[in-house]
Amino acid sequence: MEYSGYENFLESREEKMLKSVDSPTSGWSSRVFAALTLFFVAVFVTIIAMLIIADILYIDKQAVIEVLKADFVRDSLWVSVWTSFTATAISLLFAIPMGYALSRFRFPGRLLADTIVDLPIVFPPLVAGLTLLVFFSQTFIGSWIEDGLGFEFVFQPKGIVLCQLFVSASFAIRSAKTAFDDVELRGEHVAMTLGCTRWGSFRYVALPLAKNGIIAGGILTWARAFGLFGPLMIFAGTFRGRTEVLSTTIYLELSAGNLEFALAIALLMIFIALISLMIIRAVGGKAQIL
Amino acid sequence: MIHAKNLNFSIGDFRLRNVDIKVEKGKYFVLLGPAGSGKSIFLECLCGIRRVEKGSIFIDGRIVTNLEPRQRNIGYVPQDYALFKHLSVEDNITFALKVKGQSKSKRNEAAEGIAEVLGIKHLLKRRIAGLSGGEKQRVALGRALVAKPSVLLMDEPVCALDEARRQEICALLRKISDDLNLTVIHVSHNIEEAFSVADGAAIISEGQLQQTGTLNKLLREPANEYVARFMRCNNIFSCKALEPAPRGATKVEFCDGTLVVGSKVNGFAKLMVRPENVEVYNINEGGGGLGINAAEACVLEWRDFGSYVRLQLDGQSSLVAHVSYSTFKRLNLERSSNRVIVRLRPDSFYVFPEIHT
Repeated sequence: MEYSGYENFLESREEKMLKSVDSPTSGWSSRVFAALTLFFVAVFVTIIAMLIIADILYIDKQAVIEVLKADFVRDSLWVSVWTSFTATAISLLFAIPMGYALSRFRFPGRLLADTIVDLPIVFPPLVAGLTLLVFFSQTFIGSWIEDGLGFEFVFQPKGIVLCQLFVSASFAIRSAKTAFDDVELRGEHVAMTLGCTRWGSFRYVALPLAKNGIIAGGILTWARAFGLFGPLMIFAGTFRGRTEVLSTTIYLELSAGNLEFALAIALLMIFIALISLMIIRAVGGKAQIL
Repeated sequence: MIHAKNLNFSIGDFRLRNVDIKVEKGKYFVLLGPAGSGKSIFLECLCGIRRVEKGSIFIDGRIVTNLEPRQRNIGYVPQDYALFKHLSVEDNITFALKVKGQSKSKRNEAAEGIAEVLGIKHLLKRRIAGLSGGEKQRVALGRALVAKPSVLLMDEPVCALDEARRQEICALLRKISDDLNLTVIHVSHNIEEAFSVADGAAIISEGQLQQTGTLNKLLREPANEYVARFMRCNNIFSCKALEPAPRGATKVEFCDGTLVVGSKVNGFAKLMVRPENVEVYNINEGGGGLGINAAEACVLEWRDFGSYVRLQLDGQSSLVAHVSYSTFKRLNLERSSNRVIVRLRPDSFYVFPEIHT
């Protein structure tokens, strides 16, 4: 106990010294630095908040009530929610083993595989939809999946999930890889000397330590999938009650000249996104990347 | 008992070449070497983290060369401890037991027992993030010991600690090894650390073992110049045997003069004198006069290391001497002309086994 007390004393003294020198709350240069970084946070948050407030001020309550009561909005909300969460779950199912493999193993073509993983991020969204449409309608394999196996994707709800998966899974994979990169391999080695198999060291050490990064990737994936628009229009279409999602509903309402209705749906989307992100963060613990 | 028999392993340009180390049951062995010499890689080969290319590893008579790390019954403490930051101290310590499927109550009992021995019982519920270096070291040790390994392998276990903690942990490690009759291989670059714990030691350089034996042997009878220099002796000279001298001694030619060496020397040889065996006298007091193997020298530099004072001497050859502080005071260096008398007793010479012709 004496030993620990002395060491704690040394540490607390060191901590105090560090605080007095480097803490962002003391010393004029530290304060200026902190103020500068916080300035950018304030500017960005203010701009986003102003945009949302402008929308809120523009619409009247009646439009919001009508939106909440409309059956087709409820349908498209449900389709948006279930497809985006399904796409996120499937993305994570791929992202965890893929992130681990890309982080830990060296294999021929690794650089190419690593690059291809990022490709959908830089694809223009319309191109992604077009690519999927060409694959399923113009190629032998695509036709065989659709007709031979009976897995219909084109203009089907399943197609929405596929589209979202194709466009947003890269975020989950990239985040998972970065998270596993940050986990020291030595910890897994030690776990193996303590009785773990390779799977055990992954399950008990690497995965829990990479958890925050994986959750952050999941959030990005879901956000991207939830707000997806362009590729869905091309590949899944906008069939009311079937393949219509909130983003396509906004587009359709705008096309029909119902600006207030479109804005009310947009605010509904923002509200759902805000609540979902906060819940995921609270449940998933501290996210390191976001 | 652990026996690494002619281990060979290569990674990039680095090669571990025919490393052969045997440590008997319950003995504490220290593998010494500078950074990049292959100490850690050797340990990882013993753990099974790296697969050896040639050679065999025996633990308690069982060949484990191709077994998985988990099948070798070893405890491993890496240099950075690699504690599991997502788990509490208790869960870190009982990790091996959880993997083996032991019940929570048994795990708690084991954790308390081992924490008691290591003096960290009060930390069991704490997270890893708030621990000091010494506390982390003890947790890593507890985690390695909980599964009762046959051999404990430790990579620079105390290098991140201050001197006081280092001594304390070294004493604890030695006690644990003795109490549990545990075979230990401890990797280090620090000679003092080795002296405080080791039964036996070896020196490795560039993937090759230079010498194995007791620390006393490494210190006073080094196999080669490298070992001598690693054991902090730079007083190494080339000489040529001239003629036999009385009582088995040899007169040798050294620089422009002669020396009497207390043992037999043939042809060309290399000699070593440990710095603590170099006798230094005040020039006015003499040292029995300029007798056998004595000469005047100039003290170029001196530095007080607390337990001894290091003198850099320049006479017939460059020489380092370690003298006590009282001897240093007697030399009166700051007031005199820094001239002293240096004497090398014939029996203080060590003749290297390699003979250069």
